Amino acid sequence: MSDYHLISAPPLALYDQSFEGVSLIAPADFAVVSIALPLGGEAAALKAIKSAFGKALPDVGKSVLSKSVRLVRMSLDQGFVIFSHATPDAESFVAKKLKDAAYTTDQTDVWTGLILSGPKARTVLERICPIDLHGQAFAVNDTARTTMEHLGTLIIRTGDDEFLLMSASSSAHSFLHAIEISIRNIA
Amino acid sequence: MTQANRLKGGQIDRDTTLNFTFNGRNMQGHPGDTLASALLANGQRLVGRSFKYHRPRGILTAGSEEPNALVQLRTGAHLEPNTRATMAELYDGLTATSQNHRGSLEFDLMAVADLLSPFLSAGFYYKTFMWPKSFWEKVYEPAIRKSAGLGSLSMLEDPDIYDKGFLHCDLLIIGAGPAGLSAALTAGRAGARVILADEDFATGGRLNAETMDVDGMAGADWAAQVVAELNTMDNVHLMTRTTVYGAYDHGIYGALERCTDHLATSGGKPRQILWRIYSRRAVLAAGATERPIAFGNNDRPGIMLAGAVRTYVNRFGVTPGHELAVFTNNDDGWRSAADLAAKGVSVKAIIDTRDAPAVMDVPGARHIRNAAVVNTVGRKGLRSITLTDDQVIDVDCLAVSGGWSPNLHLTCHQRGRPVWDEGLCAFVPGRDLPPGMAVAGAANGAMTLATALSEGRDMANAQIKELGFKASRKAAPKAEDEPQECAAFWHVRQSKSRAWLDLQNDVTVKDVKQSYREGFRSVEHLKRYTTLGMATDQGKTANIPALAIMAECTGKSIPETGTTIFRPPYTPIPLGALGGRARGKDFRPTRLTPSHEWAKNNGATFVEVGNWLRAQWFARPGEQGWRDSVDREVVMTRRSVGICDVTTLGKIDIQGRDAAEFLNKVYANAFGKLAVGKVRYGLMLREDGICYDDGTAARLSDNHFVMTTTTANAVLVFRRLEFARQCLWPDMDVHLISTTDGWAQFAVAGPNARNLLRKIVDANHDISNEAFPFMACGEISVCGGTPARLFRISFSGELAYEVAVPARYGNAMMGVLMQAGKEFDAVPYGTEALGVMRIEKGHAAGNELNGQTTALNLGLGGMVSKKKDSIGSILSERPEMNREDAIRLVGFQPVNKADKLTAGAHFINRGDAANMANDQGWMTSVAYSPNLGHSIGLGFIKQGHTRKGEIVRAVSPIHGTEVEVEIVPAHFIDPEGERLRV
Repeated sequence: MSDYHLISAPPLALYDQSFEGVSLIAPADFAVVSIALPLGGEAAALKAIKSAFGKALPDVGKSVLSKSVRLVRMSLDQGFVIFSHATPDAESFVAKKLKDAAYTTDQTDVWTGLILSGPKARTVLERICPIDLHGQAFAVNDTARTTMEHLGTLIIRTGDDEFLLMSASSSAHSFLHAIEISIRNIA
Repeated sequence: MTQANRLKGGQIDRDTTLNFTFNGRNMQGHPGDTLASALLANGQRLVGRSFKYHRPRGILTAGSEEPNALVQLRTGAHLEPNTRATMAELYDGLTATSQNHRGSLEFDLMAVADLLSPFLSAGFYYKTFMWPKSFWEKVYEPAIRKSAGLGSLSMLEDPDIYDKGFLHCDLLIIGAGPAGLSAALTAGRAGARVILADEDFATGGRLNAETMDVDGMAGADWAAQVVAELNTMDNVHLMTRTTVYGAYDHGIYGALERCTDHLATSGGKPRQILWRIYSRRAVLAAGATERPIAFGNNDRPGIMLAGAVRTYVNRFGVTPGHELAVFTNNDDGWRSAADLAAKGVSVKAIIDTRDAPAVMDVPGARHIRNAAVVNTVGRKGLRSITLTDDQVIDVDCLAVSGGWSPNLHLTCHQRGRPVWDEGLCAFVPGRDLPPGMAVAGAANGAMTLATALSEGRDMANAQIKELGFKASRKAAPKAEDEPQECAAFWHVRQSKSRAWLDLQNDVTVKDVKQSYREGFRSVEHLKRYTTLGMATDQGKTANIPALAIMAECTGKSIPETGTTIFRPPYTPIPLGALGGRARGKDFRPTRLTPSHEWAKNNGATFVEVGNWLRAQWFARPGEQGWRDSVDREVVMTRRSVGICDVTTLGKIDIQGRDAAEFLNKVYANAFGKLAVGKVRYGLMLREDGICYDDGTAARLSDNHFVMTTTTANAVLVFRRLEFARQCLWPDMDVHLISTTDGWAQFAVAGPNARNLLRKIVDANHDISNEAFPFMACGEISVCGGTPARLFRISFSGELAYEVAVPARYGNAMMGVLMQAGKEFDAVPYGTEALGVMRIEKGHAAGNELNGQTTALNLGLGGMVSKKKDSIGSILSERPEMNREDAIRLVGFQPVNKADKLTAGAHFINRGDAANMANDQGWMTSVAYSPNLGHSIGLGFIKQGHTRKGEIVRAVSPIHGTEVEVEIVPAHFIDPEGERLRV
C-alpha cells in the first residue's frame, strides 16, 4: 500500500452553471479514447468497433450514440470514443473491447469537455464558432473541428439545442472564459 | 431652445421628448431623430469647423456620406470623436460637442487660417516646410496636426466592450431600401436563409424619405408591412444598425452592428459587434449617394444636398430652412422642391442648369433655367445666393443636386472596375463583380422606384435559383417610374470664389487644377496630393465631381480618367470593434501546466512561454532577488534533488507497424533498432539540412513510440509529421495523435532522484540502476495504482527521470513529489534553473537551434546517419554546410571571472577591429553558474572545436560591453557524463 495517494482534479471539474437561456456543464468522468484504423486493416477494425459498441463508426464529420458511448469519426483512419469512465484506464477499457484490431490512445486528459445547452445555445456560439450551426447545415450528431477564440475545438451537436464542445485541457480555463463571455455578451 | 423647425408628419415619436445637449446647450428631439435632424429641428445650422481652413460648416447630408457634421459624442472615457451627426441616433441624455476649433464654435481663433488660404493650397506643406530638415518631426508636423484635423481622443482606456461573431446565409442582402426589401421578400418567401442588413436604424431606405407610393400605399408603410412579414419568417435575419463594410473572398462579408450606440449606456453588453458573414450569394442593394455641385462658397451652413433636405422634411418632420432654393442639374432636384412646397415651406426658386421646361409644378417657386449659383453670402449660415446673371436671392437654405452616384463600393472590393454610364452621369458596377454578388436598384443604376423594386425581385430570384430554390413568379411591387433625367454639370466656371469639392478635407476646384498643373494627374496621385477622398467619408460626395474636373483639365473623358480604387471599409470601423474582446489577458488564450495551482500557492513567479505560463522560479522568504532563488534551486538540485514541471514539451503518440521506420525517416539519427523500453535522443533536420527540432523518442512496444519535442515546436513538429505521414509516405502504417496535454510530466533530477521516486513508484516496478538504466523507459504505476510513465533522461546532467501521470493527477503529483522529497530537501525548480543547468551541461536549446545552424555546427554531425535516408540528410552534405571553418558550438568563460557575459555578443579575435569583417561567431546562451561561481556561456565560433584554450573578445556594441573569454568545452559540469549513469 502506497503512503501517497493522487487526487484527480480535471481543470473544469464540477463546473455547472445556468444562465438565461443556456446552461453550461463540464461532464463528470469525461473519457475520450482515440481509435486509429491500421492501414490495410480497416475492415477488421471497423468490424471490431461495431462488435464492441453495437454501432458502426460513422462517416467523417458524423457521430453516433450507442447507449452512453458516442463514436465520432474524426478522419478516414481515426475515430474517437467518448464516454463516461471514472478511472484512468479508459484506453485499456476500449483496447480490450477492440481486441487489438485498432490502435488506441488515451485522450481523456488531453481534452476538456463542456456541454452547452438551451434555446440560446446557437446564439451563444454565433459569437465564437465560425462554422454554420443551422440545423440544415449541422444536424444532430454532426461533428466538426474548428477554432474558437484561437483554441482548437471539436464541436458535436448532441441535440437540437445541445452541443458538446471539446478543447485542449491545458487551456481549459481560457476556453471556459471564452464561452462564458459569449454567454454574457448575447442580448 | 424650442424645435422651431419642426413640420408636421415624419417618422418620429412626438409623444416622447428626448433631452440632449450640443456644446452645453439644452435641446429636445424625439425618438426616430438623428442628432442631425434634432439639431436642425432646434435651428442649429452651424455644427463644426472645417479640417484645414476652419470654415464654419453645417449639415450636408442625411446619411453615412456626411463629410461636415462630425461631432464628439459622450464624455469622459466614453467620448468618441468624428461621429457623423447624421448617423447618430438620438437618445435621452445625449451629449454632443463640436470639434476642431480653438475657442468657441462660433468664434474659432483658428479661422485665421481661412485668411491665409492663398498660402495653404494643396500640397503646401510639402513645399513650405523644407528647411531645416530636423524641424519637420519636432516643430512643423506637431504644429500642423494641432491646428488641422478632426476630433480629439479622450486618451483614456475605452470602457466599452466589443465582440465578434459569425453568421451564415444563403443570400445576404445589403441594404433594406426598396430593392433590398423586394429582394428579401422574394428570397424569404422561397425559403432561402436570408440576412438583410442596413446601416440605418430604420428599414425602408429612401422610401422613408419620399412621398411615393408602392402597391397603392405610402412607400414607408409598404416597407413597414414588408418588414412585418419578414419578421415572421424564421429563415430571415433582419439586421438594422448594421453596415456591411467589406466584400472578401469566398462570399465572406464584414459587417459592423452598432448594438448600443443608440442607448445612453451599453448596460454591460457589447457596444458593437463585428460580424463575419458567410454567404452563398449576395445582392448589393445599397442605393445611391447624391453629389453636390461646386460653386463659390458652396460650403456654408444651410447649403445641403437636395435629397437630404427631402429626407429631413419627409422622414424627420424638420425643415432645414424657411426660405429655400433648389439648385439642380437633374429632375430629382425638383422632387425636393415639390415636397418642401407641399409641406408649406417657401421655395423661392429652382435654378436648373439645363435649358429645359419645368419637370413638375412647384407652387410659389420661380423656375430659373440655364442658370447656376456662382456665390453665396452668410458666414455662419446661408443668407443669400448669387446667380450667374448676378441676381441675388435671399434664402437660408439651398438644396443642391448634382445627380446621384450608385453606391457600388463593395463591387470593387475584389478589384472590380466600375463603368461609366453617360445617361446617368455616374459610374455603375462593372461586370467583374465579387463572385456570387449581384447588384440591384439604385446601386446598379436603376434609379427609379419601380425599377428598383423589380430589380430587387429579379436579382433575388436569379440568385436563389442558382442555389436550388424555386424562383417566385409573383410580380414585383408596383410603383411609378419617376423622372430621372440628368445633364452632367460638375462646377460653376463663372465662380471666382473658392468652390469646394471635398468638404471634409477642404479640397477645392482650384486644388484639383493645381494638382493637374503640378503633374499629379492620375486620380490616385490627385487623391494623395490633395487628400481628396480621404478620412471618414472617403469622398463619397466628392470623388466624382473632382475626377470630372481632372478630366476637364486633361482633356480626357471621365471613364478614361477613372476612379480611385474602393477598398474596405465602406464606412469607418472603430479599432475597438476590430479588436473585439481580444484585450488585456483576453488577447490570447493561456495554457496552464497541470501543477499550476501548486506552483501558484508555493511562491512561483510565472513566465510566458508561447501561450504557456511556466514557473520561472520559486522565491523563498529572505531571498533578495530572482538570482538568489535560481542559484539555490540549481545548487540544491545538484546537491540532492529538484523537481520541475516539464509538461509543456510536446508529446506525440506514434503507433503503427511502420512506426520505427517512420521515425528513421523523420529523425537524422537511427531509430529502427531502438529496443523496446529504451529512449533515444533524436535530431530532426529541415529538408535543407538545417536543424529543425530535437527531442526524444521512447519505444513502449514494437509498434508504439512516444516522441517528445521542444515546447516551441510541439505543434509544428506534429504538423510536419502529419504531412510526412499523409503526403510523403502514405503507404506506411503510422498513426499520430498529440498527447501533450494528456500527461503531466515532471523532471526529477539530482543524486537523490531515485531515492525520492522509490517512495512513490509502486513496489512492483524495479527502478534500480541495473533494472532501469540511463535512457530506459517504461509504463509503470505510482501512488498505489495510478498509471504512469517513467523515462530515465536528463536535461540537467544529473541522475534524472521524467515521470508522467494523467494530467488530472498533475497538481496532486507535484504535491506528492515534494512531500516524498521532504527528507531529501527536495526543491521545485523553474525554467531559469532549468536553463542554468542545461547550459552548465552544454545542452543545446532554442537559442542554439535557431533555424540557421546545422548538426555539424552543434557538434552533432556524427548523428546524421549515412546508412539511411531521412529528411534533410542529403542536403546536409552540401559543401558549404561542411566547410572546415564552419562555426562550432563550444563553451566560453570569462578570463576575469568577475566579468558578466552577454548573450548575443560577437566574438572578435584579439587585436582585430570589432566589425562584421572580423566576426568569428556569437554567444548564444549565458548564465551565472552557482556551481562554478562565475558566468558561463555557450556559443558558436569558427572552428571552435580546434580552438579550446584560446582567448577571444566577446563584444556587444548594443550593450556596450566587451569581455575577454576563453574557449572551453561546452560541458562545464560532469563532462564524462558519470552522474547520469549512477
